[in-house]
Amino acid sequence: MLRYLARRLGQAAVIVAIVATITFALIHLAPGDPFSEILDNPNVSEKVRVTLRAQYGLDRPLAEQFVRYVNALAHGELGWSFSHDRPVSEVLSNALPNTLLLMSVALVGSFVLGILVALIQVARKGTAVDHTISAVTLFFFSMPDFWLGILALLAFTYWLPIFPVGGAVDPVMHEFLGLGGRIIDRLRHLMLPALTLTVLASASVARFQRAALLDVLPADYIRTARLKGLTERQVLRRHALRNALLPIITLIGLSFPALLTGAFFIEKIFAWPGMGYAVVTAIGRRDYALVVGGVIIGSIMVTLGSLLADLLYAWADPRLRAH
Amino acid sequence: MPGQTQDSARIEPARPRESPLALGVRAILRKRSSRVAIIVLGVIVMIAILAPFIAPYDPAAQPDIVAGKDLPPSLAHPFGTDPYSRDVLSRVIYGARLSLTIGILATMVSLTFGVAYGAIAGYASGLVDGVMMRLLDALLSIPRLLLLLGVLVAWPHLSIGSLILFLGLTGWFGLSRIVRGQVLALKHAEFVTAAEALGASRRRILVRHLLPNLVSPIAVASTLGIAHVIVLEAGLSYLGIGVPQPMASWGNIIYDGTDQIARLWWMSLFPGLFMVITVMTLNVLGESLRDVYERR
Repeated sequence: MLRYLARRLGQAAVIVAIVATITFALIHLAPGDPFSEILDNPNVSEKVRVTLRAQYGLDRPLAEQFVRYVNALAHGELGWSFSHDRPVSEVLSNALPNTLLLMSVALVGSFVLGILVALIQVARKGTAVDHTISAVTLFFFSMPDFWLGILALLAFTYWLPIFPVGGAVDPVMHEFLGLGGRIIDRLRHLMLPALTLTVLASASVARFQRAALLDVLPADYIRTARLKGLTERQVLRRHALRNALLPIITLIGLSFPALLTGAFFIEKIFAWPGMGYAVVTAIGRRDYALVVGGVIIGSIMVTLGSLLADLLYAWADPRLRAH
Repeated sequence: MPGQTQDSARIEPARPRESPLALGVRAILRKRSSRVAIIVLGVIVMIAILAPFIAPYDPAAQPDIVAGKDLPPSLAHPFGTDPYSRDVLSRVIYGARLSLTIGILATMVSLTFGVAYGAIAGYASGLVDGVMMRLLDALLSIPRLLLLLGVLVAWPHLSIGSLILFLGLTGWFGLSRIVRGQVLALKHAEFVTAAEALGASRRRILVRHLLPNLVSPIAVASTLGIAHVIVLEAGLSYLGIGVPQPMASWGNIIYDGTDQIARLWWMSLFPGLFMVITVMTLNVLGESLRDVYERR
């Protein structure tokens, strides 16, 4: 197990190193430089341009710039955010907890909801209920994240004003609330974005889990369980579901990129002050360092997510540990 | 098979092997859901092709920027008008054209890269394969949308052509892994050994003997890939960095209405519906194909 862990950690480190190289290449292959947008202004004199480039080391040889860049990255420095006038790492680390909160609520919620839906479908396999649910999950599966976000916003904050429009807390009242009030205020704001992301993610979980359950149903041990006289419900829960849960662990790892991407759009739509919101607003302001910083952190999150899923898998399936 | 005993089923008469294409077509026609999907997709494709004849107005025309803007759906404008007084129905119809074209072209770029990369890695094996696969792992761990955000922010004001290129260049990672697996599995098949014995070159074996066996995964990947690109392009356009104005894509119509989502609900609802229906049909078709190819 330890050797497996070491090997997977090594692989993850290599991946992060390659990601850093790719983002570096991206920055330097692009026309102009990160400042071109501000410095293309005719009012900026040549002298200012040269000074700024020198200040940020952009006049150094490419190899030296790369070494500096990797060195800075290794120290957790991601550059300077112009629009926030703060280091990128600070902007992102302030926003990250909100994104993680949204993602983890949606992750847990979507797996619970998705597995439940799949169980209902498999228990009524081939009936109208199964077909209808399949159509519904396909509908949500095919839906762009941002569109469902917009519809949810329209439906539940304007047409049927149950939830607050956006943000993580009430901008005015939050300061004056007691502890209980603050918690309720936060939950009220979290509800709609988290629900939207949960519904989006659970569609793919349900579709995946339904297929996984149908895969194990023809197995011999299921026939044995039925012959033992177990009810269909017991067969499903005790025998089919347990064995069909292994692929779910793989799906957790695979669902990370989609969950993160979904969070980006959901955060923008509901003005949820997370990493996605910071990065997406930075696009409009051409705050290049912040966008690239978001790309790097996002990739590291995905790498860690799949690493975690692999370790979980090894823990759950002893056959894998032996190798 | 009805009317046959178990024994006679076992001695199957030799049947000529069906080509993957015929198999795919039959798979689509067999299931009702995919029959419906192909009809609906056909209608949307026809709308896209015939856009100039169907659209009631010029999609870029701004007839009356004062009195004609932000009109809710009516008989004259079934999908309403946008803040520039443009007819949303016409924009959605032209949007079908652009969104589908981008989806198809970008997927073709992805296919080219994915198949080439995967086939080379699988056929070369050893160190070359190892390095190529590690690189692929890294590329796969950058979420595609984030990668595109990084690229599109570095290259502002992109033309449609470059947008398609970038969408395609970020979409081949998954496919190349599948292709590599297939090539690895087939590399030691008898027909490859036979070709090698006959003195065929590596290139000939790759192109003539291995690639034709990759038709099934490619068909599945491209159907699902087009759906994916349509959603991605819409997402980027929705963030304001995809298709440039005044062209209409489903995503940038929604973008035009985001400042006043609540008041201009028709600007997000209708293009989104078209998009979801298109993506649904592609997903249904892709999955029917996958079902039949994987069962084989």
